[in-house]
Amino acid sequence: MGHIQLNNICKSFGSTEVLKNIDLEIQDGEFLILIGPSGCGKSTLMNLIAGLEDITSGEIVIGGSDVSDKSPKDRDIAMVFQSYALYPTMNVARNISFGLEMRKVPKAKREKIVDEVAELLQISHLLDRKPGQLSGGQRQRVAMGRALARSPKAFLFDEPLSNLDAKLRVEMRTEIKKLHQRLGTTIVYVTHDQVEAMTLADRIAVLKEGVIQQLGTPYEIYNDPVNHFVADFMGSPGMNFIECVVFNDKLIIESGSKNYQLAVPCAKAVTDSGLDTVLLGIRPEMLTDPKPHDNSAFVQEVCFDVEVVEPMGADTVAIGKWNDNEVQVRLSPESGEVAGKGFTLQVDTSKAIIFDPRTGQRIH
Amino acid sequence: MNLKMLTGISLGRVAIYLILIVFALLYLAPLYVMLTTSLKDIEEIRSGNLLALPNDPSFYAWGKAWSSACTGSECNGLAPFFWNSMKIVIPAVLISTIVGAFNGYVLAKWKFKGSELLFGALLFGCFIPFQVILLPMAILLAKLGLANTVSGLVLVHVIFGVAFTTLFFRNYYIGIPTELVSAAKLDGAGFLNIFRHVILPLSTPIIVVTIIWQFTQIWNDFLFGVVYSGPGTQPITVALNNLVNTSVGGKEYNVDMAAAIIAALPTLFVYVVAGKYFVRGLTAGAVKG
Amino acid sequence: MLNLLEKHLPKIVMAPTTVAMIVCMYGFILWTGVLSFTKSRMMPQWDFAGFEQYVRLFDNPRWHVALDNLFIFLFLFIAISLVLGLLLAIFLDQRIRAEGAIRTIYLYPMAISFIVTGTAWKWILNPGLGIEKLVRDMGFVDFEFRWLVESDMAIYTIVIAAVWQSSGFVMAMFLAGLRGVDDNITKAAKIDGASAIRLYWHIILPIMRPVFFSAIVILTHIAIKSFDLVQALTGGGPGYSSDLPANFMYTFAFNRAQMGLGAASAMVMLFGVLAVLIPYLYSELRERNT
Repeated sequence: MGHIQLNNICKSFGSTEVLKNIDLEIQDGEFLILIGPSGCGKSTLMNLIAGLEDITSGEIVIGGSDVSDKSPKDRDIAMVFQSYALYPTMNVARNISFGLEMRKVPKAKREKIVDEVAELLQISHLLDRKPGQLSGGQRQRVAMGRALARSPKAFLFDEPLSNLDAKLRVEMRTEIKKLHQRLGTTIVYVTHDQVEAMTLADRIAVLKEGVIQQLGTPYEIYNDPVNHFVADFMGSPGMNFIECVVFNDKLIIESGSKNYQLAVPCAKAVTDSGLDTVLLGIRPEMLTDPKPHDNSAFVQEVCFDVEVVEPMGADTVAIGKWNDNEVQVRLSPESGEVAGKGFTLQVDTSKAIIFDPRTGQRIH
Repeated sequence: MNLKMLTGISLGRVAIYLILIVFALLYLAPLYVMLTTSLKDIEEIRSGNLLALPNDPSFYAWGKAWSSACTGSECNGLAPFFWNSMKIVIPAVLISTIVGAFNGYVLAKWKFKGSELLFGALLFGCFIPFQVILLPMAILLAKLGLANTVSGLVLVHVIFGVAFTTLFFRNYYIGIPTELVSAAKLDGAGFLNIFRHVILPLSTPIIVVTIIWQFTQIWNDFLFGVVYSGPGTQPITVALNNLVNTSVGGKEYNVDMAAAIIAALPTLFVYVVAGKYFVRGLTAGAVKG
Repeated sequence: MLNLLEKHLPKIVMAPTTVAMIVCMYGFILWTGVLSFTKSRMMPQWDFAGFEQYVRLFDNPRWHVALDNLFIFLFLFIAISLVLGLLLAIFLDQRIRAEGAIRTIYLYPMAISFIVTGTAWKWILNPGLGIEKLVRDMGFVDFEFRWLVESDMAIYTIVIAAVWQSSGFVMAMFLAGLRGVDDNITKAAKIDGASAIRLYWHIILPIMRPVFFSAIVILTHIAIKSFDLVQALTGGGPGYSSDLPANFMYTFAFNRAQMGLGAASAMVMLFGVLAVLIPYLYSELRERNT
């Protein structure tokens, strides 16, 4: 039903190639998120799925039928736009039912659907108002209501929360997740906010310059990135990247004016690669105050010169240097208060990821 | 103690107001002269001067200008030509506005390969001196059997008005977010339905501006009128010019002035009532695509 | 099937206008251009005549008068309208109380036909009964104002009437431009100690450059087309001393059965417009791309 298949999709605007050989299979009922930096092609991909733009080559199959040549109205999908795109001269009720009106659904049935949808989204009291009289959050709900009313095979969300303030964004995020659990319809969702991606997605597709870098669950993307770009993109504060010299099967770091050798899980792969220098990727939450652990093979303490602290409330981010690369670590607020030169830092490399510094590819 | 301390108004501001008012009077002066002259009798005109108020205002000149003044070989006043202009202007304004609206809609929201080039070529047409098309257009009208007819003039005004009306609508529709059109497409609306339900309800301001602009341009036109009309089908501008240049007997300046005001009344009326939109139309035309 | 129609509907909608444009603008320009290379007089005759008509054109003293008049008219009309329009706009921008009313008064002349304007000013400048009599009645018994019937002054009457009609529009354009200047720039300049005159001359006027150019392009366009005003105000006279190219073209093409010559004069007018328009468009496009 809501199964979407993208086969070898290419899209060019004139001579500029925006999407290159995209192959993507979205399961029925899946919540798939497309994420990437500006210009990576995620919104273009959405527009292709919706039929708002023509595919240069490749095919799109929705619910088993090839829709590559079909106009948007024949694809049975609904879209929620970043700017909501509500019809300014129509009231909320008509905005929601317009799609049904165009499909010649009888009036009585239209009204019934509008009432149901409005109740689901708690906007029943707004049905007579025009979009200009609504707040941002209310408009967002009406936009969703318009999409829901059509009971389509899939929903497309194009950065629907970007125009909301932070608190409202968190509220609506939860609402969208609940909606998905309740309706079970396929959702393809575009965002540049990686927190949204991590919390909402069943799977995430990370795009860069028109190519899918990695497709996987939030856990996979976060813990098993395939390259430097994906590792760098997800996580806040982001992963640390340090250039290290390889010695036997260990990595050398210089921290707090002392040298240390770090053991890493993929040590064999490192030696097999024959590289003299590699890029060490290690997340800030793996660099902490000394605390109990059971990972003695990959945990050690090093000396660390803290230069700047950034208290965040629940913990404090401290910044210093390894091998002259900037490194961010996560300390408890108490340690953060007193951290300075010569701080004792616990380093856990059990989840460290090693990259080839020339290609950015992960070394397994 | 300077002026500012005494009255709270500086000398500079007094000067500014003074200059503005003087110019206002200068701009109004011709209208004043036209009005007063039209109400005087010939003797008074010859013995008095431009600024003098009429001693014994009479509407003789107005009556004559409307129904019995000579405009060449006929002496029926401006009335028949007033209606000619109406018969020309109303269809021409309606058709050029409707066509311009659809054109603007296509160029703004349904761009296709070559549509920008098309728009540029059309825009260029707003700037050509009409002298370069006068002769061939005359021949075309003759071939179509429309020479010297009201319909012929309507056709000419529509063809050359569409360039402007398209410009107005296209620039306006570009300001409507394209996502509205995308949303409507997904909702299942096609080309015409999107126009009817989404675009048209938002178009009132530009429709008003376009109609006022077109009405003014076409009513005030002289060039097309004098080239493409014949006896009996001339618009009021041509008739006015003939009236003023026909001096059977002595020159009747009061009749001339009354006739001029009659010719100017419709557009002046529109300006007074809807001037705000007229100004918007002027500057919209000035801002190029 | 219906889908196919729907897909091409935008193009179908534009088709009539496109056809009309190709035929009635570009086709006609081509036609007139070709005609200017023929011997056509009363009817179009397609015998190739080379540049004969253009030679005849530039040998014609009346055409030279028309061209001279055009340059005089262009220069004065544009310069005076710009200065007047700018000054009035600056004054009106000073938070004047009756701004709306005053603006309405400055602009109303644009609502009337050039024929009406010509007729009105023909009366106002009437030698003997117009301004001359008015000033004499005020006591200056020897005052003379007979420009309308003086060969070398008639063209200036056209300038006066045209400025009266169009300067309001220039004022409106400048006013809109002035209002578009960012408040913060003005405030910063005042804090820096700029006097009013310095503020306008060094800061605001440079920002208004695009408005200047737009105004010049539009005024030039109006001037080159100024047929109506001349017909009504002076009829091109006395004699042909206040003729403009547009009137020349009409007279020769329609009244004197000299189609080829008329066509040549029309083509010269076209080149005149292009000579102003193309550099302007080029500089606009370049600015947009940088």
